[in-house]
Amino acid sequence: MPQMKRKSYHTKPTTEAEFKGPNYWRSLDELQGAPEFQEWVDQEFAEGASDLSAPDRRNFLKIMAASFGLAGVGMTGCRMPERRIYPYSKQPEYIIPGVATYYSTSMPFGRENIPLVVETHQARPTKVEGNPSYTLNGGGTNLFAQVSILDLYDPDRARKHHDSKGNFLSSKDVEAILAEKASNFKDTGGSGLAVLAEPSSSPTRARLVKAFKAAFPKAIWAEYEAVDFSNSSKSASKLLQQPSRPVLRLEKAKRILSFDSDFSGFDVHGTANARAFASGRRIKSAKEATKMSRLYAVESNLSLTGANADHRLRLASTNIPAFVNLVASHILVDIKAPDGFSKEQQKWAEKCADDLKSKKKQSLIVAGSNLSVEVHSIVYAMNEKLGANSSTVDYVAATEVSESESIQSLASKLNKQSIETLFILGGNPIYNAPGSAQWSIAQSKAKEIIRLGYAEDETSSSKGKKPTFIVQSHYLESWGDGRTWDGTYVPVQPMLEPLFQGFSDIEVLAHLTSDPKTNGNDLVKSTFAKLTGNSSSRAFSKWLSEGVLSKSEYKQISGSTGDSPSNKDFSPRVTTLSKENLELRFVPSSHTWDGRYANNGWAQECPHPITKVTWDNPILISAKLAEELEDVIPEAWRMSDKVFGQSLNQLVRRTNEFNRGREIAPIAEITVDGQTIKGPLHVQPGIADYTLILPLGHGRTKAGRVGEGTGHDFNPIRRSSDSSAISGATIRLTGDTYKLANTQEHWSMEGRAIVREATAEEYSKHPEFTSTLGMESHSPKLYPKIKDVNTGKWREMTEAEKVKHVPRGNSAYHPPNFTEIEKKSDRLELLIPGRTSRDGLFDDDPDNDEVTQTYHQQWGMVVDFNTCIGCNACVVACQSENNIPVVGKDQVLRGREMHWMRIDRYFSNNAYREDGKPDKMEIPDDVQVSFHSMMCQQCDKAPCESVCPVNATVQDEQGLNTMAYNRCIGTRYCANNCPYKVRRFNFLDYNKRQEGHFYEGPLGPSGVNELHQMQKNPDVSVRMRGVMEKCTFCVQRIQEAKINHKAKNKGSGDVLVPDGTIQTACQQSCPTDAITFGDILDEKSKVSELKSSDRNYAVLGYLDTRPRTSYLSKIRNPNPEMPNAYLQPFTRKEYESRNGHGGDHGNNEDSHGASHDEDSIHKN
Amino acid sequence: MSVTTEDASIKPDPLIMAKVKPAPIDRPPLVENNRDYAWITDKICRIVEEKTPTWWWVCFGVASMTASFTVMGLIYLVSTGVGVWGLANPVNWGWAIVNFVFWIGIGHAGTLISAILCLLKQKWRTSINRAAEAMTVFAVVCAAIFPVFHVGRIWFAWFLFPIPNSNWIWPQFRSPLEWDVFAVSTYGTVSVLFWYMGMIPDLATIRDRATTKFRRLFYGVFAMGWRNATNHWRNYELAYLLLAGLSTPLVLSVHTIVSFDFAAAQLPGWHTTIFPPYFVAGAIFSGFGMVLTLMLPLRAIYGLHDIITQRHIDNMCKITLATGTMVGYAYSMEFFIAWYGANSFESFAFVNRAFGQYWWAYLTMVSCNVISPQLFWFRKIRENPAAVWIISIFVNVGMWFERFVIACTSLANDFIPSSWGYYSPSIIDILTYFGTFGVFSVLFLLFVRFLPMMPMAEIKMVLPEADPHHGDNDHH
Repeated sequence: MPQMKRKSYHTKPTTEAEFKGPNYWRSLDELQGAPEFQEWVDQEFAEGASDLSAPDRRNFLKIMAASFGLAGVGMTGCRMPERRIYPYSKQPEYIIPGVATYYSTSMPFGRENIPLVVETHQARPTKVEGNPSYTLNGGGTNLFAQVSILDLYDPDRARKHHDSKGNFLSSKDVEAILAEKASNFKDTGGSGLAVLAEPSSSPTRARLVKAFKAAFPKAIWAEYEAVDFSNSSKSASKLLQQPSRPVLRLEKAKRILSFDSDFSGFDVHGTANARAFASGRRIKSAKEATKMSRLYAVESNLSLTGANADHRLRLASTNIPAFVNLVASHILVDIKAPDGFSKEQQKWAEKCADDLKSKKKQSLIVAGSNLSVEVHSIVYAMNEKLGANSSTVDYVAATEVSESESIQSLASKLNKQSIETLFILGGNPIYNAPGSAQWSIAQSKAKEIIRLGYAEDETSSSKGKKPTFIVQSHYLESWGDGRTWDGTYVPVQPMLEPLFQGFSDIEVLAHLTSDPKTNGNDLVKSTFAKLTGNSSSRAFSKWLSEGVLSKSEYKQISGSTGDSPSNKDFSPRVTTLSKENLELRFVPSSHTWDGRYANNGWAQECPHPITKVTWDNPILISAKLAEELEDVIPEAWRMSDKVFGQSLNQLVRRTNEFNRGREIAPIAEITVDGQTIKGPLHVQPGIADYTLILPLGHGRTKAGRVGEGTGHDFNPIRRSSDSSAISGATIRLTGDTYKLANTQEHWSMEGRAIVREATAEEYSKHPEFTSTLGMESHSPKLYPKIKDVNTGKWREMTEAEKVKHVPRGNSAYHPPNFTEIEKKSDRLELLIPGRTSRDGLFDDDPDNDEVTQTYHQQWGMVVDFNTCIGCNACVVACQSENNIPVVGKDQVLRGREMHWMRIDRYFSNNAYREDGKPDKMEIPDDVQVSFHSMMCQQCDKAPCESVCPVNATVQDEQGLNTMAYNRCIGTRYCANNCPYKVRRFNFLDYNKRQEGHFYEGPLGPSGVNELHQMQKNPDVSVRMRGVMEKCTFCVQRIQEAKINHKAKNKGSGDVLVPDGTIQTACQQSCPTDAITFGDILDEKSKVSELKSSDRNYAVLGYLDTRPRTSYLSKIRNPNPEMPNAYLQPFTRKEYESRNGHGGDHGNNEDSHGASHDEDSIHKN
Repeated sequence: MSVTTEDASIKPDPLIMAKVKPAPIDRPPLVENNRDYAWITDKICRIVEEKTPTWWWVCFGVASMTASFTVMGLIYLVSTGVGVWGLANPVNWGWAIVNFVFWIGIGHAGTLISAILCLLKQKWRTSINRAAEAMTVFAVVCAAIFPVFHVGRIWFAWFLFPIPNSNWIWPQFRSPLEWDVFAVSTYGTVSVLFWYMGMIPDLATIRDRATTKFRRLFYGVFAMGWRNATNHWRNYELAYLLLAGLSTPLVLSVHTIVSFDFAAAQLPGWHTTIFPPYFVAGAIFSGFGMVLTLMLPLRAIYGLHDIITQRHIDNMCKITLATGTMVGYAYSMEFFIAWYGANSFESFAFVNRAFGQYWWAYLTMVSCNVISPQLFWFRKIRENPAAVWIISIFVNVGMWFERFVIACTSLANDFIPSSWGYYSPSIIDILTYFGTFGVFSVLFLLFVRFLPMMPMAEIKMVLPEADPHHGDNDHH
């Protein structure tokens, strides 16, 4: 690839005058303050502007785009924020076009902030990454942090402040209103004033709330969040008699028992927990195998955490408190075991408890936040007894948590007494308050509502009273601060000036409390000074630059949680659930959380990690319940399931029905306490028999063009915000059906050695097991053994050796020597014959006669199945980095999702029929889950390359399987011939046309949304229709790193980018470091080290595509004492039932032993 | 040469022949009812010269309307994107490629009849070869639409040609699609040449009979100054023989290369060495099916029973039976190899093909292609034009499904189960495909109306009068 010389254009620092200039999205007329413009604005966006329906909105955008176009000069981008922000690690001199700047910040997410580093191009944030300085997350993020950047550019976000009549207000007007309220209520002491805010971890917010309470002692301060994880903290605070919370130290835990907790997934501190959990699962060699941690999970929903458990027990959430007591009866002294559990369940609890006890100080029990405070206190007592406290769990003093009332008590006060002014700071209670109808009535009782909101949503457009609307700024455009779950103090730095002059919640509060400082920056600065006792701007800027304040985490509490529960008479009973008495369990949506990301295309289109459903929130039911409902689920055509030893997998009954590849879900009516909701059913393995899982956050009625009409709203039948399960529900099928856009129809791996698995026991005895699986283990070796120069022994060729010596791309020629260092003089001779001057080609350095033009590092990747937890953060990170379009539900239904990276999810089961073959006809209930992160494998002998008639996809010198988009004519032959099916085709103009208008061709509206366009990564081209695209190993990052490295080491001949410098987007976002990328020729690189592992293998290795991406097989760690113990992972049994035992036939007798034992166990 | 003994190549030894009289094989004549030259000239030229019949206008109207579906479908496709078809991941080739292979297959009978049967001196080919060649050319036209338009960016389709552009990027010569470009374009060119060259004497006949100036000019230009001179005939026959020799390998190569589109890929169900012969047999099978489908109605409409005799139909039925059985053999051999190869991916692909989600397509394919032609074992069926015509339709349907089964079922369920999907066409797919029957019919109707449908000169050559010696064993 030719190296272009980059010119840097240094910009002058922005002057005062420029700051006062127009912001993005306004026209020159406005700059001149033309009265006609004011008039036009008023006419165009007078009353009801916020209620613009879809076609009007399009019109609105057209006009906006037109005015933007007219504006032309000087308005080509975003503006830097006025206050100085500090970039992360590297400080460039001014802004250089084409060179990204990275700033640290953090995303407020409920009761914690997620530390981030944001990539910006010309003050335009384009990509969110985790902040590696926060070591607990290690640069990882969760899915929501990744998607949040798209919200900044949401074309449907609110743009103008307005009063209750819809008249627009300027920022000055808003400030005046707030000041007026402040002075009015000063006299009454706040009586008649109520605030409903979202919980926050911000110390500045806490400080201002304190000031607010002092200024208005009679005012009501309430906080509400739809997905509330506070029970663990409440219980800890109660036991320890001070505001506190548990912080899990999973990296120290060898035995973990989880009760209905998704600690490594959607629960608080999930990213750090996932990382810590993975560190306990990471195995470097077979010797360490049995030292890996073991996870037990008891849960009603198949959570991400449960999907990675070694032993999983399906149990209704209603019965989990009783089960906790059952386990406690084996650990604590005065707990009586409850009756009603089956023998097997009792044995499960007993053996699990024994195992926990056997690893004192190294075991940990985690309870889910939906469980009650009482259950938590029993769990805390068990942890104390197990010696977990201060070892695998720390309790920290969570100061700065402001006292607040609940939304229920605020609602009753609104109904009872007269509230003059109700402030709603963020949130969307009319949509997501439990039993949302009651809140809607309560809210309308307030005489005046002032709402700080990000979008004109349900709450701001309720039928009753229209609120005065203040535009809320996005966290990427506002100042703030916050704490991570463990209390580390992190800043929220704006990347750009608020696009629409929004206010942040602390700014509103500052105005309301008449704080002398009303600017977010000043507010944070003074909090920082107070917290650290250091008011120097240097300390402040250092904090901003790094993004975390070291050693600022909450203090650990030494107090004891008691090793016997305080409430010994708490004896939950086992409830018998049935089809007539179903349990409902509410969980946050993997797409929209509590609905806040409903208008976010990335979030909506990212498949649910378990169900793989996009754009919807189906009600999940167990296969058993599905069978009981079978009379209404149409019976599919059924064939004999075995021909030539192949299962055909024609599913009936216990199944999701697919019609032409589209999931047709029956719509059910769920009734509880006379309240009814409707939603489609999806049969999901791993759900407790009579539990219905209801994901929240969908069915928004006013979310914007993306979020409306997706999914169903289950909030109306919720009772409280702590997500606890309710029982007594009934289900009725309406007979209607609903299409679900499911990206993965087939749940079984079909006995193919795609994800290779073994137990820790087997692996420690047979470290070579990985290579005994798959078709290639049955066929002769493709590559000759070679004699090792050092040891003199014959051995297999390594991947690096193949790269160097075996022809690539099915070529007949020997690979060129990519690694040769040529003499500079030779090179010059070669390049310009007859020219003596060396000018212009290389920097003259007489001491160095070597040039390195032909050295190319050979990139490769390893994904460790043992640490990949299937969280999807990489999927969205890839989408964000590589400008991957959102295609919408309709296109996903047609199977045209564009994700370059996907996580395949397979279920395997232990259900064997009489003939000993796995029962594959029906969806099982007890399954093992295997995740498989799949992206372009960058094959050395890529099947896609040789079939492309126009040479649009070729292998480059670095071993990347590249796509020349300009050359691609779109025959799609490459996608057909790709065995991994990782290529994605732009069937329609996804980038240019608006969603919903793809089929209108040139007659439909055209053009990328101006706001969305701002998110695009300028380093990656945006593909047009008719072009194939796929993962490139983030080639733009590789090239950038190479250029930087060459520039840095000018002339020194050192062209090797050091290991770890380049991080692909997926790798960067991965909280568990499951993805490793690097130079496979460098023996010391991390990727080479992993590739030399005995667990390393290539998927579909028998095809000899020689992929550069390889995988480390998955090791499960079952407890042989358990009633559901297994000697082999289910996928292995499936494989062996189809393919027989692998390996060198006959040579390795003892390796077969395990599976024979296995069969006997089964019959028992 | 006599009408009854065609084996002129066997030179009987006069000594033995004097003693032994071989029993004459009583073959029916190729032109029945002792028709003479004049009758044949008149019969065939009159089709072109008479007033356009009403049925022709009706058919032409319907065909043009149908053809417009293709035109509109393609306009929509190009303006909006390939997504208007039902394609998706993992089935990135759907009806378009199925239709391509289908039409190319149909295009095989013409050249086979003209070239291979010519080289094999099968005289019975004469009355059907012209129409079959026309069918070939038009089928290639229909076929060419699909690979050209199925690409995502048709305006860059010229990248397929080895034109050194400013970037000096050549096409990928290892790609079977690139081979297709050469194979199909060569085949198309040679077919057109062959067809046109064979028509020259007949065009001259029409020119000579023409009554209007326009007709004289039109046919005169295309007759290229044919004067029926002996040296014209000598050159003509030599050229015809050379073209026949050139076309013969093309008949085999085109479909072989088309089959490489699948066989050179590594998909289970595609990656099969049996594909080249199997595809060629299938192509001949479908080509003869289509010839029957077209000729039987024409024979009825124009009363051509004396020229397209039962013997012709019989022969075509027999070839259909033979190739249909070969195709059936290929189907079973695929299964055998899938089992014998012990590759679980391969065996799954074939079992899934027959019993998986596309079982109905497989069932249609087998019953149409393998079972229905077996009826041709019976003379009663072969002698019943209606039955033959219906079976020929089955053959056409079955061969379309064969390509669908190969292309789509293999793609829908390949290596990685998580990517398995289901392909179903969109309405645009369906309209575009059915529109090509309109395109084909429009072209064929124009051919029937304006060009000599049968090679008058060649038919005359198989008449008894054409043999001035009346053979050595004259039994007239």
